[in-house]
Amino acid sequence: MTRDEELLLEQVTSAHRERGVDGAIRSHPAWHDLDDEGRREAFEATVVLRQLEAALDPRGQSSTVRALLARIGG
Amino acid sequence: MNEEQMTLAAMARGDASAFARWAASVEVPLRLSLRAFATSVDTEAVLQETLLRIWQIAPRFTHDGKPNALLRFAMRTARNVAVSEWRRQGRTEQKELLEQHLAAEVEVAPITPDPHLREQIVNCRQKLPASPKAALEQRLLAGGHEDDTTLAGRLGMSLNTFLQNFTRARKFLRECLEKAGVRLDTELT
Repeated sequence: MTRDEELLLEQVTSAHRERGVDGAIRSHPAWHDLDDEGRREAFEATVVLRQLEAALDPRGQSSTVRALLARIGG
Repeated sequence: MNEEQMTLAAMARGDASAFARWAASVEVPLRLSLRAFATSVDTEAVLQETLLRIWQIAPRFTHDGKPNALLRFAMRTARNVAVSEWRRQGRTEQKELLEQHLAAEVEVAPITPDPHLREQIVNCRQKLPASPKAALEQRLLAGGHEDDTTLAGRLGMSLNTFLQNFTRARKFLRECLEKAGVRLDTELT
């Protein structure tokens, strides 16, 4: 994996996602720039990362859960 | 009424903390159920969209009395969201691959975090070098609310420097945990 691909992968591991005009949660722009191997690696890295985040959070919430709570106003 | 039914009732009343507890318990199996779609759709976006739909549907959801009814429904929803997104991208020509995805078996069970593992992760986090630690802290503090460009700016870093430090943080944590006998790929998944 090249350095540029690593940087794309790292962006995809973030839980930050924009919403489209229809209200649906949009794909991360960097995800579209990864090839299949990069997408697989981003998926596996995210699986581990979210569990690390949940373990480090006092309420056991990953950044995915916290992003959702912000969306629903919780 | 079992625990899941009580959680569902609380969610139906608009209790966001009940939703958060349920979402935290099902996030891993739900995410893993999307593994076959990893090259076809952005599974993080699909997962968030799925969980939002469950929150919206909760007041109308009828529990069938069997274990993990809401999780099973969420898994079906996740696959439907993934397939819709795939079709929206105009990738319908890969019909055979899509059928393989839909046929893939997934395990249906919530996951309870291991307190011993949690302790080891906290220990490793404390040993992180300063810049990777700062990048990790920003992601943890932001909780998905802000993009990496904003987080990098807060640390006075360029986006690339921030991402490189975040990569270092992930690798450091992995190595530190492996030294403590934790294999992340097997312990966590």
